[in-house]
Amino acid sequence: MALTGRAVLAAAIGVLVVGLLLPSLLGLAVVEGLLLLGVLTDLLLAAGVRDLTFTRAGDTAVRLGESAEVTLTVTNPGGRALRGRLRDAWPPSTGTTTQRHDLAVPAGERRRVTTTMTPTRRGDRHAHRVTVRSVGPLGLAARQGSHLVPWRLRVLPGFPSRRLLPSKLERLRELDGRSALLTRGAGTEFDTLREYVPGDDAKSIDWRASARNQGVVVRTWRPERDRHILVVLDTGRTSAGRIGDIPRLDAAMDATLLLTAVANHAGDRVDLLAYDRRVRAEVRRAPRNGILPAFVQAMSTLEPELVEPDARGLAAEILRRSPRRSLIVLMTGLEREAVQEGILPVLPQLAARHEVIVAAVADPAITRMAAHRGDATAVYEAAAAEKELAERRTTAADLRRRNVTVVDAPPGELASAVTDMYLALKLAGRL
Amino acid sequence: MSADPAGPAAPDSPAPGVSGTAAFGPTLPAPTPLGRTAEQTWRRLRVPLALVALVVIVVSALVLIRGDRHEGSLDPRSTGKAGSKAVAQLLRARGVEVEPVRSADAAERAIRPDTTLVVAYPDLVTDAHLARLAAAAPARTVLIRPDEAALTALAPGVRAARDTSGRELDPDCRLPAAQRAGSADVGGGRFDIGPFPTATGCYPYAGLPTLVLAPAGPGRDTVVLGSGSMLTNDRLDAHGNAALALNLLGAHPHLVWYLPGSGELPPADDSLWDLLPAGWRWGAAQLAVAAVLLALWRARRLGPVVAEPLPVVVRAAETVEGRARLYRRGRARDTAAELLRAAARERLARLLGGDTGEAALIAAVTARTDHTSAHVHALLYGAIPESDEALVTLSADLDALIRQVRTT
Repeated sequence: MALTGRAVLAAAIGVLVVGLLLPSLLGLAVVEGLLLLGVLTDLLLAAGVRDLTFTRAGDTAVRLGESAEVTLTVTNPGGRALRGRLRDAWPPSTGTTTQRHDLAVPAGERRRVTTTMTPTRRGDRHAHRVTVRSVGPLGLAARQGSHLVPWRLRVLPGFPSRRLLPSKLERLRELDGRSALLTRGAGTEFDTLREYVPGDDAKSIDWRASARNQGVVVRTWRPERDRHILVVLDTGRTSAGRIGDIPRLDAAMDATLLLTAVANHAGDRVDLLAYDRRVRAEVRRAPRNGILPAFVQAMSTLEPELVEPDARGLAAEILRRSPRRSLIVLMTGLEREAVQEGILPVLPQLAARHEVIVAAVADPAITRMAAHRGDATAVYEAAAAEKELAERRTTAADLRRRNVTVVDAPPGELASAVTDMYLALKLAGRL
Repeated sequence: MSADPAGPAAPDSPAPGVSGTAAFGPTLPAPTPLGRTAEQTWRRLRVPLALVALVVIVVSALVLIRGDRHEGSLDPRSTGKAGSKAVAQLLRARGVEVEPVRSADAAERAIRPDTTLVVAYPDLVTDAHLARLAAAAPARTVLIRPDEAALTALAPGVRAARDTSGRELDPDCRLPAAQRAGSADVGGGRFDIGPFPTATGCYPYAGLPTLVLAPAGPGRDTVVLGSGSMLTNDRLDAHGNAALALNLLGAHPHLVWYLPGSGELPPADDSLWDLLPAGWRWGAAQLAVAAVLLALWRARRLGPVVAEPLPVVVRAAETVEGRARLYRRGRARDTAAELLRAAARERLARLLGGDTGEAALIAAVTARTDHTSAHVHALLYGAIPESDEALVTLSADLDALIRQVRTT
């Protein structure tokens, strides 16, 4: 049960009654008796809460940063009208602004309430419980009870770099545009023969075909299609580090999604593996038209684990998944100790069979710190930041010596940088 | 209000928007209530309720059994150490009728011409009541440690003097009762009887008596005691206490023992509650009820607080900041200066075409700027700064050098 403000108001008016009209124990008893009677009447006559039934409908998934709506239908099977308040409780990170609703359900009818949510974190959010407070006819007291009405809202990665997709696809078209400018090389395949137009490279003229035709004919080439790409997300401890307010892992996911969208468009096959000491998530052989949803679903519940990643296990998993030459994009950190004791020893066996990109999320705060001057504290910070930057450069150089391409970019630019690197490798025929 | 009508519930048609979303939500309304039924609540609460009832019964019984006990000091009904039931019993055994009263009115009514009136705490009695007691004219008035106001009303001419600590004193006077009793525990308040020559002072300490017998009219007198300790159950059997008490209090056949009660406190000590008009006391009680209801209203939440596990927040730059603090605390100017210089050298080498040799770099920088080669060497490969200020200056100079090289 629950009391209402009206019961308190009635008790406060009772002060005047007792003070002015009946200043005695009798007066007190009369007022208290009337109050109790009113409260009992309300409790008896309020619509039952236990017998209510609930159904949910609405969104089951939402991108981080966007809003979802879940409706709750309340059916009142009892003989009395329900009047009161309803709270559809969700965890705080669901970002519900409209958890509490005024509710009025006539006997035998049903009403719908809509809860709008703007989640602040990735992952699955489960509805907590629905609490209904049913106020009696006098408005002095209410029955209150809760129901468990399960619902799951999956919060998917935000993919903020989606806005870059058109420009990257444009670049891909330029590169894939059957242009005669692209000369024959490793990793290119013969596309078509077409008429020479002024501006075409004279070296691309196919003389034998020209002889058979009236005009001059050039050969066009395009990058090889149907390459295999494996994106590996390191979900170990370094991925938990926050840059600004988002974890490194989320920046890596954003880059993964942009790369996947572009590569899928370019006709390559993309697989996903999330690993720290065991496989956390994977996508293999997703259908071409459903690859982004598959990735997004697989990544939505990934959380950074506070463990040191197992680089040997990771290498074994990668090799098991890539039987032929592939592009391995390893989203990890560039911290010197982590790299030297982690992936550095296993990289040669990967780089020997595959093309490897190591993509790391750099922290712009450290770059800012290195440039900051002022007092002694700032200069010491700048020195520490320079040390960190120098170590990152050394680590990146170590990796490059092992035939690995390194992309080190802040979160806002990583997706673009990784995709550009992919396009560059594709253009160079290194896939 | 965001509830919108969805029409009456028909048992065979699903709710709008529900069909087709069976992925996670049930399509059929299943019984979902949480919380306890009335029977479960009763089963849960009956043991605590029984315990509460037991406590109430036991406490009430104890209060009823012990209800007639008196524990006040100098209370003729009290058997405690500070009580005075022993002396009252002795007086009764000697045929004195002892009548304990708790109010001035009752005392005034009980006083007869052959009455001994004992006022246990005269300083707790209001002046008006004292005057009425004096007017009632008892045969003997015994004041136990009176203050100036009580003396003025009941023993005019006797003045209170500086107190001494309570102790055993010798009678040292002509009063037969005191001489027969011998030494007694009377020390406490002392009195100045200088302006009252007919008064008799006994048990003096340092010249001032602690017991005074002052005539108060034909056949009446007033006894002023500096301390009531000789009348307590604890001290009655010591020295001549009992004899002195019986002689002083047993002189007349009727004794009124006036112990001022709590209802007679002077008006200055009235609580706020007493100052309220009687009717509003009940109003205030009702106000308390309203306050309790207010608390209950605001305390009841609409469902419990929802908790969720939060992700660990690790700031990526944390280790760098920690290292900076270590440098600062350790005054690691050498390390800091070398790191800054190395970073500057690398930047310069990048700007100037990648030759990182010491001599080549200095020569290239000197060629691009107006600095001497010695100055550039001191900046890029110089000594460790002497102080934090020198380190700050060094960092500024390095920045300036890089800017200069970049712009030329």
